[in-house]
Amino acid sequence: MTTEKQPIQHKDGDYEIDTLTNRRLLKDHEYDGIQELDNDLPSWWKWLFIVTIVFSIIYVVRLWVFHSDDLVQKKEFDKEMVDAKANPAATAKTEAFEIKLLTDDAAMASGKETWSKICSVCHLADGGGLVGPNMTDKYWIHGNKIENLFAVIENGVIEKGMISYKDQLTPKQRLEVASYVLVKINGTTPANPKAPQGDLYE
Amino acid sequence: MELQKFTYDNKLSRMFLYATVLWGFVGMLVGLIIATELIFPHLSGGISWLSFGRLRPLHTNAVIFAFVGNGMFTGIYYSTPRLLKTLMFSELLGKIHFWGWQLIIVSAALTLPLGITVGKEYAELEWPIDIAIALVWVVFGLNLIMTMVKRRVQHIYVAIWFYIATFVTVAVLHIVNSISIPVSLLKSYPVYAGIQDALVQWWYGHNAVAFFLTTPYLGLMYYFIPKAANRPVYSYKLSIIHFWALIFLYIWAGPHHLLYSSLPDWAQALGVVFSVMLIAPSWGGMINGLLTLRGAWDKVRVDPVLKMFVVGVTAYGMSTFEGPMLSLKSVNALSHFTDWTIAHVHIGALGWNGMITFGMIYWLVPRLFNTKLKSVKMANAHFWLATTGMLFFAVPLYFAGFTQSLMWKEFTADGYLKYPNFIETVVQILPMYYLRVVGGTLYLTGVVLLVVNVINTVKAGKFVETEEDSAPALHPHGVDKGHRLIEGKPVLFTILALVAILIGGIVEFVPMFMVKNNVPTIASVQPYTPLELEGRDIYVREGCYVCHSQMVRPFRSEVERYGDYTKAGETVYDHPFQFGSKRTGPDLAREGVKTGKIYKPDSWHYNHFENPQKMVAQSIMPPYPSLLSNTLNTGSTAKKIRVMQTLGVPYPEGYSDKAVEDLKKQAHGIAQGLRDGGIDVTDDKEVIALIAYIQRLGTDIHKNQ
Repeated sequence: MTTEKQPIQHKDGDYEIDTLTNRRLLKDHEYDGIQELDNDLPSWWKWLFIVTIVFSIIYVVRLWVFHSDDLVQKKEFDKEMVDAKANPAATAKTEAFEIKLLTDDAAMASGKETWSKICSVCHLADGGGLVGPNMTDKYWIHGNKIENLFAVIENGVIEKGMISYKDQLTPKQRLEVASYVLVKINGTTPANPKAPQGDLYE
Repeated sequence: MELQKFTYDNKLSRMFLYATVLWGFVGMLVGLIIATELIFPHLSGGISWLSFGRLRPLHTNAVIFAFVGNGMFTGIYYSTPRLLKTLMFSELLGKIHFWGWQLIIVSAALTLPLGITVGKEYAELEWPIDIAIALVWVVFGLNLIMTMVKRRVQHIYVAIWFYIATFVTVAVLHIVNSISIPVSLLKSYPVYAGIQDALVQWWYGHNAVAFFLTTPYLGLMYYFIPKAANRPVYSYKLSIIHFWALIFLYIWAGPHHLLYSSLPDWAQALGVVFSVMLIAPSWGGMINGLLTLRGAWDKVRVDPVLKMFVVGVTAYGMSTFEGPMLSLKSVNALSHFTDWTIAHVHIGALGWNGMITFGMIYWLVPRLFNTKLKSVKMANAHFWLATTGMLFFAVPLYFAGFTQSLMWKEFTADGYLKYPNFIETVVQILPMYYLRVVGGTLYLTGVVLLVVNVINTVKAGKFVETEEDSAPALHPHGVDKGHRLIEGKPVLFTILALVAILIGGIVEFVPMFMVKNNVPTIASVQPYTPLELEGRDIYVREGCYVCHSQMVRPFRSEVERYGDYTKAGETVYDHPFQFGSKRTGPDLAREGVKTGKIYKPDSWHYNHFENPQKMVAQSIMPPYPSLLSNTLNTGSTAKKIRVMQTLGVPYPEGYSDKAVEDLKKQAHGIAQGLRDGGIDVTDDKEVIALIAYIQRLGTDIHKNQ
C-alpha cells in the first residue's frame, strides 16, 4: 500500500500529482485545460446520502404499509379537530350568556376594536353604511334592541349577505360590539350616510 | 498525430451575453416595480397592464427565461466548442436559436401585461409562443448534439453532461405541461384539470427550477470555476455520482409544492422523500465547485469573479438545503403560501443564478474583447451590492413569512382565531415589504454597475470574432470502462439521461390519471355556467392566482378561517387549476359559500374591485376600475363551451348554442341585485362575470345543505 503523497503505480500508468493539494490528477482527463482530480467522495457526504435514503424508506413504509396516524393527512386533520374540541376553554362558545347592554369603557374599547376590524368592512368606519345598512340612523331592519343586534351578529342575515360571526367572535365580543353600535355609533352623523332601510324606531 | 486547425466563433456568445445583461436589468426592474406596488397598491393607477397580477408573471418569466436563459446560452455557446475542440455544428442554427429566443421574450413581454396567459405559473405563455419555444429549443438541442457528434475530444466533460440533461428534460417538461386546446389564437385551455393539472404543473414548475435554473448553471460552474481559478475539478467520481443522482431524483420532487393539498398522500410522500434525498446530490455540486478552489483561496480574496462564484455556489448550497426542509410536511405547514417561499427562491435566483451569471460575464467580457476588465473596483462594488442586496431582500421576507404564518394559525384560549381578519396579518408584515424594496434596489444598483463596466470594457477592447485552436482528429483509442464508456458516446449518453428523467414523472402520472380513486368524484360538483366560465377567464387574465390561493388546507386554523378544506373532486372542471402558491390576500376557495366564514355580498365585491381600500382601509390590493367599465366579450363563449366539452366537461350536447342566452340571464340577475342596492351598473360588464365566478367558488359541496 502507498500513501497518496507518493507517486503511485496504476494499471493505466502513472498519475500526475496536483502540486498545490498533493492529490492525484486523472490521466487523460483534460478538457480545454481543465483537469480532474481523482479524489474520493467525502465520507460525510456518502453518509448524508445514505441517511436520507434510509429516512425515505422508513417514511414511505410508515405511510404505505402502516398508515401511521401522523402521515395520513385525513387522520392528522381529524385528530387536530378532536383535540380542539376537547379543549375546555373552547366550550365558551356554547355557554349560556346574559345579553344586556354594556356601557363601560372597557366594553366600548373592545367593541370599537371589533367594529373597526370586522364590521367596518361593510358598514364603514363611521357607520354610514355602504354594503351593509347605515347604523347611525333611527331605521332598523331587524330591530334596535341589544338582543336584536346580538342575534344578527350571531346568526347573520344570509340572504342579505351578512354572515354569522359566532365562529369568529366570542359571545362577549359580540355583546360588546353590539353595545358599541347602540351607544357610540347610533345617533352620530356619518360622512356619506346610506339611505334609511327598515322601520323607524323612535 | 496530425493537428487540425479550426476556429471558435465568439459572435453568438457575445450576442447572448448582451441579451443576458439587457433582460437581466429589465426583469429585475419589473421585480422592483411590483415589490413597490405591494406597498403602494395605487401605484398602478388602476391601469390594468401595470397591475401586480399581470406584471408578476412578466417578472418571473423575464428573470428565468430571459436573464438566466440567455445567461446559460452565453456560457454554453462559449464552453461547448472549447470543451469539444470543434466549431459549433451550425452557425445558422445558433442564429435561429438566438433570434428565436429573443422573439419569444419580446412576445412574452407584450402578451403577459395584456393579460394573455394560460394561468399556470412559469408556464403562462399562450400556445403559439409555446410552440415557438418548443421549436427553438429543438434547434438548440440539435446544434448541441451535432456539435458533440463532430467533436475532436473522445470523452465529453461533466459540464456537457449537464447541458445534455438540460436540453432533454426541459423539452419533455415544456411539451407535456403545455398541452392545451386553443379557443382562439391567444386563448387556450390546458387539457389537464384540477389536482391532475396541479401535479403536472408542479412537476414542470419544480423541474424548471431543476433543469433550467440548476443543471445548466452547474454546467457553467464546472467550466468557469476551474477556468477562472486555474484549478483542477475536485472529484471526478463525485461528478458522476451527483450528476446521475441529481437528474434521476429531481424529477420526482414536484409534489412537494402540493403538501397538505388534495393530492393523495402517496404522491405527497414521494414529493417529501425525493426532496430529502436530493440534499446530498445537490451538495455534491456545491462541494465540487467550492473544493475546486482549494489551493486558490488567495485568489478568491482579490478576484471579483471568484468571489461571485463562491457566494453563488454557497447560495446554491443554502437553497438546496432549505428546499428539502421546506418539503418536510411539518415545515411546509408553516412556510407554504407565505413570503418564506419568496425568500427561498430569491436566494436561488439572486444568489446562485445571479452571482454565477455576473461572475461569468466579468470573466468573459475581457476575453471576448481582448482587454482587461475596465474597473475591478466597480466589479467589487457590484459584488458587495449584490450580496447585501440579497440579504436585505431575503432576511425580512423570512421574518415576514414566519410571522404571518404564525398569526394565521394562532388561536385564543377561547378557541377563536386570534386574527380572524386577514388584513391584520398583512399590516403586521408590511415593514418587511419596505425592506425588500431596499434590498432589491441595492441588487439592481449592482446590475447598473455591471452594465456600465461591460460597456466601458467593450469600448476599451476590440472584439475577438474568432479564435484559432488546433487538436488532433477524433480517433477513439484505448478501451473504455465504466462511466468512461458512455462519456465517449454522447448520443447514448443523451438517451440514458432521457430515461433517467422520464421514470419519476411516469410513476407519478400514470396512477394519478388512471386510478379513479385518486380523484374521488363528488356528485354535486357541476361545470361552471357560461358567465362563471367567462368570469374565471377574467380571474386568470388578471392574475388573481398570483396573490390568492384556492386551496384550503386540512388544518383547523384554515377550516376555521375559510371553511371546509378543498377536496380533489371539487377541482375536476378547473382547466387550469387555480390553487395558487402564495397568499398575499386571503384564500378564495370557499369565497362563495353563503353559510361560510368569509362570504361577502355582490355589492361588497363590486365596491371592492372599484377600490379595495374603500372596503378594507389597509388593503394592499390594487383597484380594478377597468373591470367596471369593460364590456364582457361573449364572442367566444360558445366556442369555449365546445372546447370544454372536448376536454370532457359534461355540458349537455348542443349547450354552446344557448350558452350566451344563459349567460345574459345570469348576468341580469346579478346586475339587477346590484342596481337594487343603488349601484349604477349594466348587465354586460366584466365585473358581473367575475362576481358570478367568485360567488360560485367552493359552493358545490354545500348544495345539499
